[in-house]
Amino acid sequence: MTAIAQPATTRRKEGFSAFEIFVFTLVIALLVIAVFGPFLAPDSIYNSDIANSLMPPSAANWFGTDDQGRDVFWRLIVGAQTTLLSAFLVVTLYSLIGVTLATVAAAGPRWLDEGLMRITDIGLALPGMIVALGFAAAMGASLRSAIIAMAITGWPITARMLRGIMRQTMEQPFVAGAQVLGVSKWRLMTKHVLPNSLDVLIVKWAGDIGTTVLVLASLSFIGVGAQPPSAEWGATIAAARGYVSTAWWTVVAPGAAVAITSIAFGLLGDIIQVRRDPSLRGN
Amino acid sequence: MLMSIDSISKSYNAFPNPPAKVLHDVTLNIDAGEAIGLVGESGSGKSTIAKCMLALIKPEDGAITYDGIDVIHAKGEELRRFRREVQMVFQDPYGSLNPRMTVEELIGEGLLIHKLEPTAAARRKRVAEIMDMVGLNPNDMDRYTRSFSGGQRQRIAIARALVIRPRILVCDEPVAALDVSVQAQVINLLQDMQKKLNLAIVFVAHDLAVVRHLCEKIVVLHKGKVVEQGSRDEIFGNPRMPYTQSLLAAVPVPDPVAGRARRAARRLETAN
Amino acid sequence: MRTVHPMPDQSTVTPLRPPLVTVDKLTVDMPLGRSGASVRIVDGVDFSIGVGERVALVGESGSGKSLTARALMRLDRLARLSGRVDFDGTDLLKLSDRDMGRLRGSSIAMVFQDPMSFLDPLMTIGDQVAETLRIRGIGKAEARKRALAVLDELGVDRAAQRLDAYPHEFSGGMRQRVVLAMALVGEPRLLIADEPTTALDVRVQDQVLDLLDDVSTRRGLAVLFITHDLGVVAGFAERVMVMYSGRIVEDGEVASVFAKPSHPYTQGLIKAVPRIDQDLNTLYAIPGAPPPPLARPGGCPFHPRCDQRFERCDKDLPMLLPVGLSRVACHLHDGHQHDRKGA
Repeated sequence: MTAIAQPATTRRKEGFSAFEIFVFTLVIALLVIAVFGPFLAPDSIYNSDIANSLMPPSAANWFGTDDQGRDVFWRLIVGAQTTLLSAFLVVTLYSLIGVTLATVAAAGPRWLDEGLMRITDIGLALPGMIVALGFAAAMGASLRSAIIAMAITGWPITARMLRGIMRQTMEQPFVAGAQVLGVSKWRLMTKHVLPNSLDVLIVKWAGDIGTTVLVLASLSFIGVGAQPPSAEWGATIAAARGYVSTAWWTVVAPGAAVAITSIAFGLLGDIIQVRRDPSLRGN
Repeated sequence: MLMSIDSISKSYNAFPNPPAKVLHDVTLNIDAGEAIGLVGESGSGKSTIAKCMLALIKPEDGAITYDGIDVIHAKGEELRRFRREVQMVFQDPYGSLNPRMTVEELIGEGLLIHKLEPTAAARRKRVAEIMDMVGLNPNDMDRYTRSFSGGQRQRIAIARALVIRPRILVCDEPVAALDVSVQAQVINLLQDMQKKLNLAIVFVAHDLAVVRHLCEKIVVLHKGKVVEQGSRDEIFGNPRMPYTQSLLAAVPVPDPVAGRARRAARRLETAN
Repeated sequence: MRTVHPMPDQSTVTPLRPPLVTVDKLTVDMPLGRSGASVRIVDGVDFSIGVGERVALVGESGSGKSLTARALMRLDRLARLSGRVDFDGTDLLKLSDRDMGRLRGSSIAMVFQDPMSFLDPLMTIGDQVAETLRIRGIGKAEARKRALAVLDELGVDRAAQRLDAYPHEFSGGMRQRVVLAMALVGEPRLLIADEPTTALDVRVQDQVLDLLDDVSTRRGLAVLFITHDLGVVAGFAERVMVMYSGRIVEDGEVASVFAKPSHPYTQGLIKAVPRIDQDLNTLYAIPGAPPPPLARPGGCPFHPRCDQRFERCDKDLPMLLPVGLSRVACHLHDGHQHDRKGA
């Protein structure tokens, strides 16, 4: 009677939906596999055993064996590390480039901002995958070339988005407050502007891991990325593509791995974004 | 005279229209320790003047001088001293504090960047002292501002500005966004600080009653021009310009008898 | 001029005129996200508004003043309302959505703080003002004629030429007049005005208030005016209701409430506002801040900030009871003052 009854009303954080838990579990499982998988793999998967080649899925070989008689399941697990690590590396590299350029553009004088943004526009206008293909081919086909090529072509979206967000953040009163206090340009950008601008980018980067896995696999498949006998998924698909009609598992298993991984990280990005901005929530 | 603003003008680009002139030859002076109110309606240019005083924007013409420093062209050590001695408090208690900094980091930032206290422990002590002084609990030092009310945030903003002992505090509508019952707390705090620290306060506001309460000198602005300036008694007791008179007459009074009498008189005047 | 008579048997403040709206134990609960939990923003509010009466509803952030007013119009789809809102004999909370929609604009209208968000930038002023009538099946020519008449009444210069103008061609004060015209064209009997002058400059605010004053008198229009500005209350309203933390804490005629406020919160508010016609050394400041709806203190919600609290205040929630011509929710006035001496 005296106090206003408000049971459970202070619980502001909402629980996760079953779907969200599913996506989180999937992403965590992929990360665990990528980190620990290779240590658990039997040595046999690195050696060919022609007698057992192209065996269909069985109790001994869950996903069957490939043309060299190696276990497809364990090769996927080993390939997960190569694939995900490379994707993380690519996203980290181009994010660093993007963040640096965006910060310089946002902080710098108008001519520098204009110049950097025109370069970014050119970068955005070029088809990333084709340019990466060209770069990788020029540097000699290898996983390293593919990673460098993708890092060089991936930054423009980050730079463009972040520079816009930083300009908005710089309109916030607390930034003027820091200027009045006399903070240096460096401190202004790194302590006040950048930390308050990265939210949206973190969402983007989570989703980017997914796309990067896909593009990296494509490059390897075309032959400018990881080379056989690497267990990288794209390279695996490339090596097995001759057997689609006779031993479908050799292609379907790594293909599904690429699809599931890119979708899982894409969904992770979406979930974070929706959680950040409740207005995007459908009922 | 601590700061002098000498016939400054400012325009903003309004492409494709010709540039919009928001300040026309504004001249005013600020003495040490005085509270001066800049009042006017929206579009009067009062906030633009505040931004010029803080060297956040540069006027096209005219000069601003602070204690021997040419504010518009100041660089290096001169600019650093200006930044240390002229501080501000904003209207929006939510947007004016970096949400990713703790109260200690926010209040101590000025001490840190101006190297006023050598050690973290000494800074922490100074932060605790000023928090106590503005009516905050020093135990809240390690919290983020998210959970603070508007009034408490405004106290944090005031502490952040005052901890480095400025000589001028520019306040742009510091109570306009606060609840009525909290406004008085912040007004009293500003008044108290002004006296204790011999601080000059430039108070930019649309609320004439608040300005009358706080400021001994008043500058009335309209469309980027100074209409009238004078002491509190001159402006509120005997306004000379018709614009000032109409502005004062329109302020509602929280007293039904006096309020209705004022309105009746005003309507009679407009009818004539 | 007004003497205060003790009238202990009175259960609500009698409006000066027959009641148009009677609100009985109105509560508004707002859901918190999808979790099913909710928070009570308005907690059992009773009041009535007489025909043609001008009532101000005063409160701070989180007091529930806006949601109370919006509940009368059933504007918030997510809000869960309970209690009774009797308008001219019908309970608005029981009406179908369709009937409620018909009532909005014709019997009850509302204006808001920000006129621009209420105006369609791509529609002419004339069409927007006439729209309320068009929806009700009134012919184009007739609707336009009446739109013009209302704009004229509200002092829009050269209204005939400006019927075909767009909102961006109008100044802030003129836009608020247009929004007012949209509200009044359907000839409502109650106008709910939610901080309609807060965003305006004082001189424009003054004009809009004069205008509302005239219209209300001429049409016998009841106005529920929501504001935080006591100056506006004193100059415009006949009666004032003060809300704090989801409840009405004081309700009385403006003259008597301002002359002799009964609730310590009302007393504090009046003392805390600087006045253009007075010099004071220090303002009275109510300590603390209004509680957020999720963290309301027990007992009287004002007790942590009250300088007259005594033993009962943190235990029992005071009821809104008649005190003289007013109603007050405070233990100082509920006939139990003797407890205080014992404390």
